[in-house]
Amino acid sequence: MIERSPLLDLFTHLLLLASFVALLIPFWIVFVAASHDFHTVNQVPMPLWPGSSFFENMAVAWERGNFGRVMLNSFIVAGGVTLGKIVIAALSAFSIVYFKYRLRMVLFWLIFITLMLPLEVRIVPTYAVAADALRPFQSMIDLFGIGINLPEWNLLNSYSGLILPLVATATGTFLYRQFFLTVPDELAEAAKMDGAGAIRFFLEILLPLSRTNMAALATIMFVWSWNQYLWPLLVVTDQQNFATATMQLQKLIPGPLFGEPPVWNIAMAANLIVLAPPVLVTIVLQRWFVRGLMVTEK
Amino acid sequence: MKRSILVAAMTMTTLAGAAAQERTKFEFWYGLTGDLGEVVANHCKLFNESQAKYEAVCTGQGGYDKAEQNTIAAYRAKQQPTIVQIYDAGTLNFMLSGAIYKANQFDKDYGLNVDWKSYFPGIANYYATTGGEMWSFPYNSSTAVFYWNKDAWAKIGKSEAPKTWAEFADDLKALKAAGVACGFALDGDTWMNLEQFSATNNIPIATQDNGYGGLSAELVFNKTPYVDHMKNYKAWLDQGYARIQTTQVGKNLVQAFADGSCASTITSIANHGTVKNTQVPDLKWDVAMIPVLDASKRTNSLVGGASLWVMQGKSKEEYEAAAAFLKYVTSPETGEKYIVKNTGYIPVTVKGFELLKSEGFYQDPKMAGREVAIASLTASAVGPNSRGIRLGNFTSIRSELRSELEAVFTGQKDVQAGLDAAVERGDQILRRYEQTYKGAALP
Amino acid sequence: MEKRATFSNLWLAAAFIAPQMLLVFVFFYWPTGEALYWAVTLEPPFGGSNEWVGWLNFETVFSDPKYWNSVRISIAFASLATMLSLVIAAMLALFVDRRLPGHQLYKFTFFLPYALAAPSVGLAFRFIFSPDAGFVSAINRVWPNLWNPALDGWDAFLLIIFAQSWKMVGYNFIFFLAALQSIPRSVTEAGAMDGASVLRRMWDIQLPLIAPTLFFLIVINITDSFVDSFGIVDVTTSGGPARATDLMVYKIYFDGFEGKDYSLAAAQSIVLMLLIIALTFIQFRFIERRIHYS
Repeated sequence: MIERSPLLDLFTHLLLLASFVALLIPFWIVFVAASHDFHTVNQVPMPLWPGSSFFENMAVAWERGNFGRVMLNSFIVAGGVTLGKIVIAALSAFSIVYFKYRLRMVLFWLIFITLMLPLEVRIVPTYAVAADALRPFQSMIDLFGIGINLPEWNLLNSYSGLILPLVATATGTFLYRQFFLTVPDELAEAAKMDGAGAIRFFLEILLPLSRTNMAALATIMFVWSWNQYLWPLLVVTDQQNFATATMQLQKLIPGPLFGEPPVWNIAMAANLIVLAPPVLVTIVLQRWFVRGLMVTEK
Repeated sequence: MKRSILVAAMTMTTLAGAAAQERTKFEFWYGLTGDLGEVVANHCKLFNESQAKYEAVCTGQGGYDKAEQNTIAAYRAKQQPTIVQIYDAGTLNFMLSGAIYKANQFDKDYGLNVDWKSYFPGIANYYATTGGEMWSFPYNSSTAVFYWNKDAWAKIGKSEAPKTWAEFADDLKALKAAGVACGFALDGDTWMNLEQFSATNNIPIATQDNGYGGLSAELVFNKTPYVDHMKNYKAWLDQGYARIQTTQVGKNLVQAFADGSCASTITSIANHGTVKNTQVPDLKWDVAMIPVLDASKRTNSLVGGASLWVMQGKSKEEYEAAAAFLKYVTSPETGEKYIVKNTGYIPVTVKGFELLKSEGFYQDPKMAGREVAIASLTASAVGPNSRGIRLGNFTSIRSELRSELEAVFTGQKDVQAGLDAAVERGDQILRRYEQTYKGAALP
Repeated sequence: MEKRATFSNLWLAAAFIAPQMLLVFVFFYWPTGEALYWAVTLEPPFGGSNEWVGWLNFETVFSDPKYWNSVRISIAFASLATMLSLVIAAMLALFVDRRLPGHQLYKFTFFLPYALAAPSVGLAFRFIFSPDAGFVSAINRVWPNLWNPALDGWDAFLLIIFAQSWKMVGYNFIFFLAALQSIPRSVTEAGAMDGASVLRRMWDIQLPLIAPTLFFLIVINITDSFVDSFGIVDVTTSGGPARATDLMVYKIYFDGFEGKDYSLAAAQSIVLMLLIIALTFIQFRFIERRIHYS
């Protein structure tokens, strides 16, 4: 800046510092609450400095929320969704951008519409196939009067049930498409001239070029799928084996039916456990996360 | 040496594993959570240890409503458990589902030899079809009772709990005058406010004998003395006699009573143990039957809790295992006694009650008072208004009424307007339900 | 958008796009069809025979004051939470963009809340704003019963707005900052030469230039508040008290899965889907025009 204005600078500093505190204070309160014993955390006003029961609370929360198992589940689901999106979206975007066929704009729009309707909005429809995902095909077979019986493919309490519906949105396809469109035409022409087929061009030229975008997409998808809540809530009835981490949060506040006071210190410790992976990912991979945000939403 | 021990250990685990595999397994889902859930889980363990042929795989579903939801989802995906614990309000859904193995039929087919006559009429009728057939096995049962603080009542010179609502209103006024900050803890729960009030005063909630007469029942609770009852509640809140206590505001009814901050409340007898275990040391308290409008005309209160349903579509082996389990968990000796001793729930059969009485259970000072629940359940012969509630999607009706009561109690709505709205919405729910099950006869 | 060098092996093209189409078909188009079927019939909870009822479910939905209540609440929630977080985020971005010492730290921390799952945010805010424990309860010590989201619908509504805007501030901030940084320095410097003060320049030059980003963010925020709010509501208020926070997505979940009325939920789901599609289209068109002519 050209001019100096000490007063405004001071104001700027104060404003940003105040916002900094305001935006981060919830994290601090969660941490402080997680570090006190049951009695202290329920005091009014609550202490604003950490206590000494942090590890104890964490241990209780870990035990009570069955986190050993559910964290693993969440990693499997988040990993599966991330991988699935990266691969499947790259393939479909490649098909839409680099192949010429009459249906491609239709297909593009069919995929694009799903982008507008996140899972929560179409939760009832999606749930309709949870019992048997192959029923669509069975119904079609029945329609044509062919006597084939497909096996049932039940999505309840399975990793595929948790992962596949989350993969079935267009976020990634859209991102790859935007990127592929910026790749110079000369590259494909040169590849063709060298006698390389579509597959080789895709694997050896296009994919390596897309590495940055893949990393960005992966970061954002990992955080997004880790944070999924409503779908796991519906599709998991076997809480012991298939619950995900975010699902445990509601359970740690006791319901009104069986009269325990809310154990805030444990609930907040559990919250720290659940929010740690996505927050760590965003901090460590900040560059990719921000990039991912910018490219997926444009 | 070490290696041979290791080998021996491995052989033994394999053998044990093989032995375990020979057991017939079946799934049992339950809705109770927290300490009560632990009690159920332990009941399973006891069953599994009691014999070597069968193994119950028991899974808590994290709440009564979740247990029902999950069973429906699982049934649609053909993954249902063999036995499931379903709460009182879900009874009609399961009766009409076509997804269950009727308890009385199951009893015949698998030789359980259940003595259906031994169930307390108040309990049997609640879960039975209109024709009197039992389609599920009553398991954990309770009813609502009046919890009162003896010291607080001593301040107004009384040593007995109020018998009628009018007397209770006077007591509340006196308590306030005597410096008791909160005479009565209440919340929007309809089981206590509406259902028990209507049953004990022989007042209908809906036409058609509260729905036992058919799916065309209509709600009537906006035209009964229940309206005045809620007006009283509201007045008590306004005058500072009573207070709303829910988990969301910090303390629920039980906590507010157990720590002495509210002098009385009405809640399930199942909380008897919780109060005993969590009360402040010097609290002197007792339970009594809930007040009625006219003490000479008291009718029986309603049962609450859950029953066990057997689901369709399982193998003969699983049903045999389930039969053994049901026999174990419903018999007076290994079933009722266990539940009653470890929770605040009450025995469900006369035999169970007699057994406990003969063992001096109710003489134990920790348990004293629990027989009040039995007295309340058997206060009269079961009549059409105290038989139970057989309304479609009753959980949704409850939640409609609860949210109207929330609005009424916090002064956003007039009592009559709130109840009218709840009835109108509730009737819509009933009509939708009737249409959904068009052609299905109410059993 | 057409590539000059395109491949022409149709089988290959089909094979590449097949997995995505399969997923979209099985988990989107077919289920949507099934939901339409549920919406025009009455689906019993345990399955079985359903009867054609035509528009009945939609009529029930539209004639229900509680539904319109839910629509009103959702719209109020979406606009207020969006406004709050956008104003704060824009302000923060403008001042961070002055690049005074330390601005890197802010850049790094402001978006952290966005990494949290909605129920995490909900749980944290439920504790922080709980009436009798936690951070805000101190207010009730001074003025008893001033703040009680468990009983007071307005308090509960405010609570979910705070939670949602807190979560979105960081996200909006990143986009605003990127937009500001893409404004050529020469433009603002020219303003400075003309003697416009820093605040003046923010208002007259920078804000208009980031207008396209603003409109884009409005779309994203509104959609997000319709969608991600489920986790917040479920953990903090469960739609209460007295339905003060009964947002549309939550109502669908409640009517369908708690109330076991799949048909009613399906009808609402379809209405919401149409609403979101319409919203997106209207806004895209509106935005495009604004950007072209401004």
